[in-house]
Amino acid sequence: MNTHTVYFLLAVAIFLAVLIAAAGHDYYRARRSPQESWESLMRRLISVDRASVARIALDLLEESEQSGKDDTGTAVEPSDILQLIGGLKGLEILEKNSQVLIEMASYLQRSYPEALIIAEQLRQNAREIESHVGRLRGAAQNGNLEISFPFYGQRAIATYYLMTRRLLNLYEQGNVPMLADLQKAL
Amino acid sequence: MHLTGLDLFFWAASFLGHLVLLFVLWKRHRAKLFPFFTTLISTNILRTIALYMVVRLGTKDNYFYTYWSLALLDTILQLCIAYEMASHVFRPMGVWASDVRKSFFWLLGLSVFLACGLGWLASPPTRSVVQALVIKTNLFAAAWMSELFVGMMTLSRRVNRPWNTHVAAIAKGFGVYSIVNVVIETGHTYFGVRQSTQAYTALSHLRIAVYLGCVVYWIVALWLDAPPSQQLTEKMRAQLFTLQRKVEYDLQSLRSRREL
Repeated sequence: MNTHTVYFLLAVAIFLAVLIAAAGHDYYRARRSPQESWESLMRRLISVDRASVARIALDLLEESEQSGKDDTGTAVEPSDILQLIGGLKGLEILEKNSQVLIEMASYLQRSYPEALIIAEQLRQNAREIESHVGRLRGAAQNGNLEISFPFYGQRAIATYYLMTRRLLNLYEQGNVPMLADLQKAL
Repeated sequence: MHLTGLDLFFWAASFLGHLVLLFVLWKRHRAKLFPFFTTLISTNILRTIALYMVVRLGTKDNYFYTYWSLALLDTILQLCIAYEMASHVFRPMGVWASDVRKSFFWLLGLSVFLACGLGWLASPPTRSVVQALVIKTNLFAAAWMSELFVGMMTLSRRVNRPWNTHVAAIAKGFGVYSIVNVVIETGHTYFGVRQSTQAYTALSHLRIAVYLGCVVYWIVALWLDAPPSQQLTEKMRAQLFTLQRKVEYDLQSLRSRREL
């Protein structure tokens, strides 16, 4: 057997080992019980100050809906947003959570095929959050975080807030008790 | 050309297997969902008939050119099936998600590069340049297909795209077949056809046997309906209920804050 053949066989062996390992890993992940993945998803969801998230998000959403009208609610000062959400770290937690929300939607998609539309919307939202957080990381490196945060930070938070609403809507379609009442209240 | 009993058996089994699979695709209304896959199965039926006729009535050269022309068509259709599977998984709403599109192009580029690398490294002992080219091209095609199908599975897991039962069955079949095919094409490259075609023929028979196994798997998997949707477990319901209560509480707090 010449050297060239040895190299060729070695290359094929590595190629096959990587392919089989990747396929085996995927197969193992797919075979894991749904309950187990649901538990791990719940564990991965990092706790955030939901009241602050909703307050900042609604400030932006209501502002865009009622532009030109007097706002009777408690407006969030741009300078407060950074503190309320816990700075760039807080926003990075929302970014991580947004990935978990997508996984939760995908998880429910197995039970409810109609979850597909919401899952796609959530994916788009997560990309938006990623983009906003990416810009803020750049701003932090340039020392402009405080100037950029109110604009990009509030948009990322509002997007995250909408993601949680959409996910809850999805659960509603799964006939989860009491969620219909919540939707009426909204 | 002399055909052994085993050759005839594989020929008949392949013809019958594809006929049954085509019937399943039509009867269970899967043909509309998988047009490229259905085209490949239909083409394979026609190919079996055409090659049989050429063997009986044509020359060795006729057979060679017919076989390899149809093999090229087979590879093109397999590529189309990879695209069909990707469409089902990565653009279920008719639009490619931007993050997936980028990863998918990376997968395409990398898979072509690696498959070209393997094809370039291969130096089969053959009697002519055409034979060497055929073996190298087969290895390239097998490596490329296996990378595409396994890569798609990995990518779908990474971006949390669930696989529809029937899409998964088709992709799994092609995934397994193409990985085995890489081993077989490696054998073809190693043994070559310079001194004897015995090893080449034995490996080709093995490939057909594996492919027939895939056909049987597709017949069963595509005949069966997708499993019914799962039910939410009691624990999940309780967790979702708690989550909903928390959200309700937050909203009430927000409302009272705004009323101040």
